[in-house]
Amino acid sequence: MTTSDPSAQARATPKMEARGISKTFHTRAGDIVALDRCDLAIGQRDFVTVVGPSGCGKSTLMMIAAGLDAPSTGEILVDGRPAGPAGPQRTVVFQRFALFPSETVAENIAFGLRVAGIDRAERDRRVDEQLAFMRLAQFRDAYPHELSGGMQQRVAIARALVVRPEILLMDEPFGALDAQTRTVLQEEVSRLAREMNYTVMFITHSVEEAVYLGDRVVVMSARPGRIKRDLAVPRDAAWRGLEIEEASNHADFIDIKREIWELIRTEIVRQ
Amino acid sequence: MRPLRSRAGGSTASFWRREPGPIAWLAIAMSFTAACIALWWFVTRPGGPVSPLFLPPPMDVVDAFVRLLARPYLGSTLGRHIASSLSVVIGGWLAAGLVGLPLGIAMGWWRKARWIAFPIFQLLRPIPPLAWIPLAILWLGIGDSARIFVVFIAAIVPWVMNSMQAVYSIDGLLVRAAMTLGASDRQILTRVVCRTALPTLVAGARIALGNAWTTLVAAELLAATSGLGYIALNASRTLEMGILLVAMAIIGILGASFAIGMQLLTRLVAPWSAT
Amino acid sequence: MTAMPGPRRRTGSSVPQPALYGALALTALFAGWWLATAIPGVVSPRVLPSPLDVVARFFFLAIEPFSGSTLEGHAIASLTRWLIGVLAALGLGIPIGVLLAWLPPCRAAITPIFELLRYIPPFAWVPIAVLWLGATTATQALIVFIAAFPACVINTQLGVSQVEPILLRAAKTLGAGPWTTLRRVVLPVAAPSIFTGVRIAFGNGWMALVGAELVVGKQGLGFLISQGQINDSVATIFVGMMAIGALGAAIDALLQRAQRVILPWKTASVRPLE
Repeated sequence: MTTSDPSAQARATPKMEARGISKTFHTRAGDIVALDRCDLAIGQRDFVTVVGPSGCGKSTLMMIAAGLDAPSTGEILVDGRPAGPAGPQRTVVFQRFALFPSETVAENIAFGLRVAGIDRAERDRRVDEQLAFMRLAQFRDAYPHELSGGMQQRVAIARALVVRPEILLMDEPFGALDAQTRTVLQEEVSRLAREMNYTVMFITHSVEEAVYLGDRVVVMSARPGRIKRDLAVPRDAAWRGLEIEEASNHADFIDIKREIWELIRTEIVRQ
Repeated sequence: MRPLRSRAGGSTASFWRREPGPIAWLAIAMSFTAACIALWWFVTRPGGPVSPLFLPPPMDVVDAFVRLLARPYLGSTLGRHIASSLSVVIGGWLAAGLVGLPLGIAMGWWRKARWIAFPIFQLLRPIPPLAWIPLAILWLGIGDSARIFVVFIAAIVPWVMNSMQAVYSIDGLLVRAAMTLGASDRQILTRVVCRTALPTLVAGARIALGNAWTTLVAAELLAATSGLGYIALNASRTLEMGILLVAMAIIGILGASFAIGMQLLTRLVAPWSAT
Repeated sequence: MTAMPGPRRRTGSSVPQPALYGALALTALFAGWWLATAIPGVVSPRVLPSPLDVVARFFFLAIEPFSGSTLEGHAIASLTRWLIGVLAALGLGIPIGVLLAWLPPCRAAITPIFELLRYIPPFAWVPIAVLWLGATTATQALIVFIAAFPACVINTQLGVSQVEPILLRAAKTLGAGPWTTLRRVVLPVAAPSIFTGVRIAFGNGWMALVGAELVVGKQGLGFLISQGQINDSVATIFVGMMAIGALGAAIDALLQRAQRVILPWKTASVRPLE
């Protein structure tokens, strides 16, 4: 069903495409070129992870892809047509959760549905479905501040998924969590993506996470950010579906990881 | 001797550093207050060192309170005077809120509104509300309109400034999250920003009410024909010390009630606020 | 890039627009004021003086005594009384705040009376203060004191009680006695909150002073504007109000400066009492 050849996938109209994206920030201290002519194509059902040294602009690229920021040059296309402003076709999971503090878990998850005018019965049905799927049902009436970081992020993921986005964007979603919670959530996202065949763009600075989750790893250069390499990670590799502890001991996992690390290391040194 | 365990905060083991439990707290508070009242009674006893024109004995204050309840004073009953003060302060506060709350939210949300209106309020803010009283008297004469005008001015600045601050300091990340979920600007403003800012907006309302009350009392001392301040002023002129103290006490109790009321309101409308 | 709330907009524009809009708004306000007074019949000069009248009045008051002193004289009189009152409030309020935080039983004892008295607006004390101290500077200083005292006490008490216990324990393990701990650990850590209380107290004191001077005394800015009202001179009232506002703002600005200099390392983390 799926192919491990990125170029074959991209020949069909990519689900989302970034063409020639450049971004320059004008500050009082001068101009900062954050991104320099980035081209990235994400095919249907791809799980693309983006890694790079700190400050390479990966978050900026994601904000532009999400429609929350405008590029200086270039454009974002969805299904071959210019993407509109930010909206539920490409929802975002943020590093800092961004849950609405005045709403319960269920209300947070229902937010996108409410805004779209979906009637109450359908809303409740879908929210319940999502709560069950993410194993959050017992927390439906809790407020965000009563939950741990890991729980909050799961609510954020549920909120982003319940609106059935065409693309899911995740901006270093596990960066604010402790190591144990991070591992659990990585495994959960991996399961989610495989079961539901989402199209995902996932930003991270952890190479291990990028290899574990992605079937393509995009490596960015140091600032000004460019797409340096685009590696395929086989979907049918032996370690897929294992817990991250076990997977990271497999030889091919280690090989890919090392290759990517070398690419990044040279970039860090260059900075 | 067993060392005493210390509770919240204190690190030494002495009695004096321990946070008293609720019963002990009440006991200490009541005994100290009783001691103060006893002292008061002692120094104002007949033949005592303090003249009743300086500080009336406790019984005089009680008598004055009873008298105020029984017979009208300066033309109205005590109840009418209190109602007069309350209606002006609540009316002025609500009117200021009706104008100030939407204005403040608009200033917090739209840059242009902020850039235009904020400098004007920055100019107005340093002028103490009490300083408007002579102007109010000149423009409106002595009476109800002067009182309402001054209370309105006193309340509107906190309403506007705090509402603006409440909206302005919302985490931008929440706005972006709402955008990615497809919310329009209007929906973001009402569903996300106003709801999240609600505790802070109520805090602004509370401050406005405090300002309004303080200013009302001053206005009544200078430019009124009824109300608690008016009672206090007259009592001081006629040296009816007991009535003066009663008026002051009622003013204080009402002020405290406002503060407590607003705190309860905060907890009612914003049960999620962690503080 | 923009993390501020507000409707969507594109990023990046380098013209200093806020200042422009602000200047425009203020200019429009003044222009409107002047126009309203320039066109005959719109507004009576008794009610709203023209801006020029106000400026003229300002210079007049600066040179000629009005109701006893020039503008400067009144201002100095006000500032003197204010300073006496707030310094007394600091001198008494901060130690009492420390005491209340350090010894919880004291807080239990004083709270009922303190809270009752606190909610009586300072201005409500004017009649009784006049009866006690006559129409003197002491009366006004007392009102300032009453206005400034609660903020000092409460913010000091909050600041001291929020010093983390672990710091106290650390001091103890290093051999510090209670007095040393207070001086070298507690006060510096509580300093930002105490300073915030001082700022609020100073502001409250200034506002209360103006009120007191409306009723009592023969000098001062509050007296000036009440005289303006009695003499039907709106321009005098305007000048007085602006002077009061300007001085109040200057005091607060000075204190903010002082805070940045004396306590550059930290901003107060406790929610101050308004």
